[in-house]
Amino acid sequence: MAIRDDFEVATQQLRTILQRFALVFLVLAAFAAMLIGKADTILVENARVLALDLATPALEAIARPVAVANRAIADLREFASLREENARLREENSRLLAWQTAARRLENENNRLRELANFREGPEASFITARVVGDSVSAYVRGALLNVGRKAGVTPGQAVVTGEGLAGRIAEVGDNSARVLFVTDVNSRLPVQVERTRERAILAGNNSPLLRLTLLQSVAGIQPGDRIVTSGSGGSFPVGIPIGEVVQGGSEGTIRVRPFTDFSRLEFVRVVDYGVTGLVNTGPPAGSASPAQKAH
Amino acid sequence: MRDESFIARLDDLGRLVLPGMILLFFVILTLAPLRVPYVSDALPLLPALVVFQFSLATPERLPGPFLLAMGVLLDLLLGGPGAPVGVSALGFVLIRAAVVANRRYLVGVPFLFQWIGFCLLEWMFMVLVWGFTALWTWTAIDPMPAMVQYAVVIVIYPLLAPILARVRPRDPLNVPEPARGTARPGETTA
Repeated sequence: MAIRDDFEVATQQLRTILQRFALVFLVLAAFAAMLIGKADTILVENARVLALDLATPALEAIARPVAVANRAIADLREFASLREENARLREENSRLLAWQTAARRLENENNRLRELANFREGPEASFITARVVGDSVSAYVRGALLNVGRKAGVTPGQAVVTGEGLAGRIAEVGDNSARVLFVTDVNSRLPVQVERTRERAILAGNNSPLLRLTLLQSVAGIQPGDRIVTSGSGGSFPVGIPIGEVVQGGSEGTIRVRPFTDFSRLEFVRVVDYGVTGLVNTGPPAGSASPAQKAH
Repeated sequence: MRDESFIARLDDLGRLVLPGMILLFFVILTLAPLRVPYVSDALPLLPALVVFQFSLATPERLPGPFLLAMGVLLDLLLGGPGAPVGVSALGFVLIRAAVVANRRYLVGVPFLFQWIGFCLLEWMFMVLVWGFTALWTWTAIDPMPAMVQYAVVIVIYPLLAPILARVRPRDPLNVPEPARGTARPGETTA
């Protein structure tokens, strides 16, 4: 009897201690999680991918109704300016038709010149179309979740484009999900060139709507309105995907670039499978990128 | 009356897990591609709001280890290369502890005081997450987006909190006081 009482007293004491220090334990556990995340990045990367794969079906289920609602709101807004929009589009259409003629002529000419010069083109790109099922946008990240993954041939480092231009690159890949890091994210650094002057530079994001152009040899030549395109340096991206246009800068130090992609309206994107992503070590250091290397 | 007792048990179970399910829902909702201006900015802070509100009403239904797991899940889902995994967990646990320790000043008081309490704790949560993220990635993160998030979630609180407060248990000893909701004395809800 006495032993049992002692035991009960002991368990009671243990329980009080546990309750008293529960907060300390929990705080320590949270710190431990952070430290583990810092020490073992591959483990965290795998955990992230697992969480993404688990959350994607749920997100996919709510993405469709949300998309419908978003579109309804956008439709209502556009309805108000239907007439002006129509006039603007008609004008743009006639201008684009003129450009199309010019482009056809140039393409033919280009092909003939390439044949003459025996020019070997880079690998051909193929596309994987994906639905944006989640926004990974917070005060610290600018990205999105896609409903395609390794099974569809997506690998880290691939370019993600929309009709307007480059949206970002693939950062993490699960079996049926992938995370895009937008060009506006603070971790995004892209080798680019100015379309008009062919000058090379680095385009960096800083979580704000505008991008920053750095490492230019001569800042002076840049004018507002200059288009910025991918340079293909490093081999991970195709050359010449439009990213944005210069909105300010030139004389002073920082040059700001406004991306062409409207990140608040993304619904479908295309992942560019360029076939050489394995050359650039962008995603986790795991050898997930190498099997995708294809010789064209 | 076996059926009733079964339903009653189901009811109890439902009430037991409902706060946790709502928190999980808001954690996943963080990623939903909701394009409503401003509201979508505030989504990442909404789980903290849920934690605050349920810590106020039924802290025993959001045990610490569960909050830890939800916080880690939120950090994993929100992503961001190099961002600390577990900082939201730390924030959740601290919010719960702060609310439980100060229940005297937060429960059964006019709604305005709860709101002020929420503003204070959410501010600390935001500063904590911002600080750790800046420290972990060793970059000067622009605090402006976080401020916008904070401002929006402060405005959302009075809209969302009364709805969440309805999940409180309805046993006779814990009838919601009329001052909390819009119910008048004698009025019953289904």
